[in-house]
Amino acid sequence: MFLRNRYNYLALIFVSYFIFIIYNIFSLQILNSSDSIKRIDQQTLDVFYLTPPRGEIYDTNNEKLATSSLEPHLFINLRKINKDNIDQYKQYLKYNFQELKNSDLEEIFSSKEILYLVRNINDLDYLERQALQELDAFEIFDYPIREYTYMNIASHIIGYIGKPTSEDFEEFPNTIKTGIVGKSGVEKYYENQLSGKAGEVVFKGDEIVDFILPESGEDLYLTIDIETQIVATESLLEGIKLANENFESENIIQKGSVVVIDVDTGEVLTMVSLPDFDPNKFVKGISSFDFNQLNRIEAFNNFAIQGLYPPGSVFKVVAYWLAENEGLFPDGISSRSNRMKCEGNLSFSFIDGSQQVYNDWKEDGHGNVNLSSAIQQSCNVYFWDIALKIWRTYEGNENESILQEYARNLGFGKVTGIDLPFEKSGVVPDRDLFEEWTITRPELVRPEGWLGGDLMNLIVGQGAITTTPMQVASAYKTLLTGYSSAPYLDKNIDSVQKVKNYDINDDFIEFLLSDLNLVTNKDGTAYFAFEVLGRKANDIGGKTGTAQNPGDKNNTSWFAGVDSISNPKYVIVTVVDEGGSGSAVAAPISRRIIQHLIGEDLTPVKFGEITE
Amino acid sequence: MRERKITLLGPEGTNVSIFFLFLIFNVISWFTLFVLTEGIELNFNNILIRQIVFTLLSVGVFFLLTYISIENLRKYTDSFFIIIVILLAALLRTTPKAGVRRWFDLGPIDFQPSEFAKVIVVLFIANFFIQRKSKYPLFLYLGLILMLILQQPDLGTSIIIGFVIFSMIFVSEIKIRNFVLIVLLVILAFFLFLEAGLINENQLDRINSFFSVDEDFQQSQSKLLISSGSLFGQYFELEKVSKIFVPVETTDFIFAAYAYNFGFIGVLLILFLWFVFFFRLTQILSISNSDFDKFVITGFITLLAFQIIVNISTITGLLPLTGLPFPLLSLGGSSMVSTAVIFGITNRIFIENNLVI
Repeated sequence: MFLRNRYNYLALIFVSYFIFIIYNIFSLQILNSSDSIKRIDQQTLDVFYLTPPRGEIYDTNNEKLATSSLEPHLFINLRKINKDNIDQYKQYLKYNFQELKNSDLEEIFSSKEILYLVRNINDLDYLERQALQELDAFEIFDYPIREYTYMNIASHIIGYIGKPTSEDFEEFPNTIKTGIVGKSGVEKYYENQLSGKAGEVVFKGDEIVDFILPESGEDLYLTIDIETQIVATESLLEGIKLANENFESENIIQKGSVVVIDVDTGEVLTMVSLPDFDPNKFVKGISSFDFNQLNRIEAFNNFAIQGLYPPGSVFKVVAYWLAENEGLFPDGISSRSNRMKCEGNLSFSFIDGSQQVYNDWKEDGHGNVNLSSAIQQSCNVYFWDIALKIWRTYEGNENESILQEYARNLGFGKVTGIDLPFEKSGVVPDRDLFEEWTITRPELVRPEGWLGGDLMNLIVGQGAITTTPMQVASAYKTLLTGYSSAPYLDKNIDSVQKVKNYDINDDFIEFLLSDLNLVTNKDGTAYFAFEVLGRKANDIGGKTGTAQNPGDKNNTSWFAGVDSISNPKYVIVTVVDEGGSGSAVAAPISRRIIQHLIGEDLTPVKFGEITE
Repeated sequence: MRERKITLLGPEGTNVSIFFLFLIFNVISWFTLFVLTEGIELNFNNILIRQIVFTLLSVGVFFLLTYISIENLRKYTDSFFIIIVILLAALLRTTPKAGVRRWFDLGPIDFQPSEFAKVIVVLFIANFFIQRKSKYPLFLYLGLILMLILQQPDLGTSIIIGFVIFSMIFVSEIKIRNFVLIVLLVILAFFLFLEAGLINENQLDRINSFFSVDEDFQQSQSKLLISSGSLFGQYFELEKVSKIFVPVETTDFIFAAYAYNFGFIGVLLILFLWFVFFFRLTQILSISNSDFDKFVITGFITLLAFQIIVNISTITGLLPLTGLPFPLLSLGGSSMVSTAVIFGITNRIFIENNLVI
């Protein structure tokens, strides 16, 4: 039974309490309002911001690459330090934490901060921590520790963190509060996503009156496969070691890069740059000695997107595409199957009467070559002939730069747009650039300006052209699919813009794949590098490159290829700076990575045949 | 089912005043959150957009409940009770967020079962009372649900449920002597709880700090904020007070932000609207022939009124901080939807009693 009269008592209690509340608010808002406004003006609050844990970074199989764990840290409330107790605290710290030097103590006690982080106290037991908290000026807060599980592996992709500088404050205003910023790699590129929200310790005078917990940053899921990344790093190291053993180079060979991207999506499966570094060293603050040593060998450069190299013969696919698409073949040839005789050199005269001889890398020539065998054996004469034809047909008119246009169409000379900072664009030289350089960088160009010889150099990837390994991978991806898109590392990237290239049709892709396949098989420049694969090599394809460098620098070793001809899934590009012949060094490195990609047993990197 | 003559709005009819009060409270919440919004990004992270989405969801829930007859609802009450007990138990197995296990993480939103537990407890008790059987097992069931919520720990919700239980027992046939005995027993149990250390350290701190002379800092700040709202509020002031430090001002402390922006006039307005709502609900107690209706309505009134009272009391420093949302004003999907359930059931009770205005 419901008792209505009892409800009335209940209601009476409610109504009285509501009236009490209303009176309370009335006294606050009406009677004491001006007093409160005055008090607010006088109230001074200071906030000390606590670094939040950064989001974690995972690879494509959810392997943890970077983690953030919270560990208790001892802070000292400097507002509570005065003339009377400063010595007491100094003594206490000195006695209990003997690793603190006098200079450290000076730094702590002369700091202008409210709170100063003294040290990690994760190693102290419960009683010791209790003892610290007994002292009035000591505070214990959790502070995040970044840890990179795989150390040097993928260090250029992940990047490293450090204390923000004034430029960082400008770029990421949030870092004024968080106190930590990504300095390179995805740590920098995705700073806003990873950084989280700083905690707040609110001070009224010297007392802490409130505390808001920091909030973790968002996790980042990468397209990288750490397994492949490890195999690629090992392979590149092995290849570099072999190159050092086999060449008598002036300099030690130690720089190189490997890029593996998904042909369909542009996902970056692997990106290696050597020499590398251990980002864990930056977490506790790297010593300037270590930093300088790493900096001297350019360990912080991500050569996959920042290394600028002449591409050499891997660039020949650009002319290959141009020849097919424009029907522009060497003099006297009208189709891809027609052959010309390569005698090992090309001599010709210019209108001004000068005579020039260009020597192919194979002195006695490649015999009768067509477009396919010119790629297979990397015949320079065939491509020089194409350049000569372009020059003779178009010199001085708007079509003169047709080769450069094809190159730019594939993304050379501009950044790929990958989600990493500091990407370099490289250069595709033409008449305009040379004219500009005669003013800005006269040491790079001859006074005559742009000549036919420059075009001949360009067509075989030599001369003033510079490219990054990522650009080459991206260009091959475009040629093998007919679509161009930016490569990317963030698996959850919003939208990848795929642009159809209407000059690349299915027939062309089939031709290109079957000609790249010739390179890794009998009579091809990379045959010896891929021999160990046996019949599996029938399904592999690629292109070697050996780019000459100015001065006494050894040649740059290149290989660009695909893991499968019948069903291409990945483009692999390998570069060894000063590594010499592409077929001898870069090709066998790539072979080992391809073995991993297609699930074959790995065999050691073997020094290949020196060609080109 | 009882016969009804008139239907208005919706398939089963809608009580106009209940529905419009529901909408007005929502709109007030939008206006309050609008001031607290930083920037006008149109995505789900924007608090205003979130609340508007929750409102739309709640209106859906409101109309959904007009389909369910009170008799059906009563029949399934025991099942609801079992489901909520399972959910609350499952919650204790999740990883704690900021030291408490209060929410299921469902991607963009968090689901807080204890918000719905409040509603289900009211239905459960009402159903228990109208069945002529021993009342003693009731304390076992309610004790179980309170234990589960205290384990999260969520002192605020436990206290609210406790008060609702007391009020509903009070209006039943219980002898006053027995009632006093129960209240004393529960108070004793609470202190035993304290002794056994089953109450979270954090909450103990809050209780202790309440009894100490020092005023809680957050409460002193929210009082300053309310106070500087004056008679008409600072909604149209361009230079807003920025030296005040009010935490969770979109949820538990939103009433402070409301009072600051709309002043004493605004406070009177929102309390008057709630008074109208409670007054309308009280009419059912005279009209309805069903004791179930009456117990449910009493439960809902005490539930909402206690929540408002405790919320305002904590932010004005009359009670220690507990962390309770203000119904239909605080940002939050679970709180909003569970209040929509209350309004929806109330609405159904009204139309079954042929009250449409």
